[in-house]
Amino acid sequence: MNQTTRRVLGIIGLIILLLSLIFFTGKFRSHYTFAEDLIMTGLAPVQGFFSQLSMKTATFFQGIVDYERVLQENKELKTRLAAEDNIRHQLLELQKENHRLREMLDFKVRTEYSLLPAEVIARDPSHWFETITINKGYADGVKKDMAVVTAQGLVGNIMFVSKGSSQVLMLTDSRRAVGALVQRSREPGFIGIVEGYTEKTGYLRLTNLPPEANIQPGDTVISSGLGGIFPKGLVIGYVLETGKDQYGLLQQAIVIPATNFDRLEEVFIVLEFPAEKETLEKDYAENHTDGDDDEEEVQEVDPSGE
Amino acid sequence: MTKKKFRRWTLLGNKKSFILYLIVFFIIIIALVIQGSLLTFFILDGIIPDLLLIIVICLAFLWGEKRALVVGLMAGLLQDILFGPAIGFFCLAKMIAGLLAGLTSHEVYRDQLIGPMLTAFFVTFAHEIIVFYLTAFFWGNTVDLFVALETLFLPRAIYHFVLTMLFYPLFYRAEQKKYFYPSFK
Repeated sequence: MNQTTRRVLGIIGLIILLLSLIFFTGKFRSHYTFAEDLIMTGLAPVQGFFSQLSMKTATFFQGIVDYERVLQENKELKTRLAAEDNIRHQLLELQKENHRLREMLDFKVRTEYSLLPAEVIARDPSHWFETITINKGYADGVKKDMAVVTAQGLVGNIMFVSKGSSQVLMLTDSRRAVGALVQRSREPGFIGIVEGYTEKTGYLRLTNLPPEANIQPGDTVISSGLGGIFPKGLVIGYVLETGKDQYGLLQQAIVIPATNFDRLEEVFIVLEFPAEKETLEKDYAENHTDGDDDEEEVQEVDPSGE
Repeated sequence: MTKKKFRRWTLLGNKKSFILYLIVFFIIIIALVIQGSLLTFFILDGIIPDLLLIIVICLAFLWGEKRALVVGLMAGLLQDILFGPAIGFFCLAKMIAGLLAGLTSHEVYRDQLIGPMLTAFFVTFAHEIIVFYLTAFFWGNTVDLFVALETLFLPRAIYHFVLTMLFYPLFYRAEQKKYFYPSFK
């Protein structure tokens, strides 16, 4: 056997070894190995430092470029804030009334989500896997499959956890699918699946909707709560366009995510969400007519969780 | 196994080579951290360049296929640990990319910039196609190859083509100045 043949055989052997490694570590593992955990935990503060540096520098230069616009926006926001303040007071009144009425009707008050803030410290450089690394790990109580959100909407779920950092699989990743429904119609039969839309970077696709589903551009898409990973009612995004799927049988829609996945800085991990929520909602649906839906939406959309 | 055979088997060669790989290891770590963290400066129309791949290609071009294989393996392994869906995934893609870039280097002058730039352009396609098929095989792909070629691979290849123009001279100069082979007295 000459040297070239030996080299070629060596490379083929290496390829087979690596393919087997991918098969075993990709399909069956749910945790990091000790060595991976060590590297992840060791690098997390360094990644955090560079991430902070990047954000601060970007914000600084962006501030110079956008100075005039920011000034104008500031004025507008102040005016709007004054108006919003009035609405907030009205909402608080309505919320109190909501609680009071629920108590009168002998409903349990829905417990709030328990959220843990985390900073985004890194992002997967390939375009095939939409994952981010955050600076909270199992030492902070983070577990696999916990939902990750921002004030704008759903981000994804925890995929791997190390001691001081975790990897989050984002909604835009083509490997992930989330049960979703259209907030306006809210018909439980019309639950579609939201998945990463690989043909247009950063967009999502809502598929498997029956042809008669009531959906139109501008509609808000929320999580259905099916599957138990994501709480129900979290905003996923907004419908950009609708159409038939490739077989012409079902409807599908292109969805603009509510969260800007390219500019994620801080996220919240949902440590706990009420398990009795679905039962409550079933009871609620059984006992009430359509007019009661409005008060439920107010509570779900409110990110402050008061 | 004799000491010499073990060294050959591990591709470490001697102390000099070991130091060289140690330096490469730190370059990869820095590149990975910058890549993952300083993302705001690098995203151009939704496309993120793969700094690691550019480094593998530049070094492969300077050093040839044998060292390129080890550099590709190292870079891929670290990327797998930090971001990858499975161990071995980017390892395989980057190893083959390094190998291809290393083989090309025999045919082109190393002191001219256009060689590594064109290599970066074509090897990016090869790397992305390997990743595409690995993803399709292990997890299933929803995107068509031709759509991916046009919307993902081509912009990235052009991006890498341009970035190599900035990175290759740095590595070329480091090689000329023997920064990769420090002598300890």
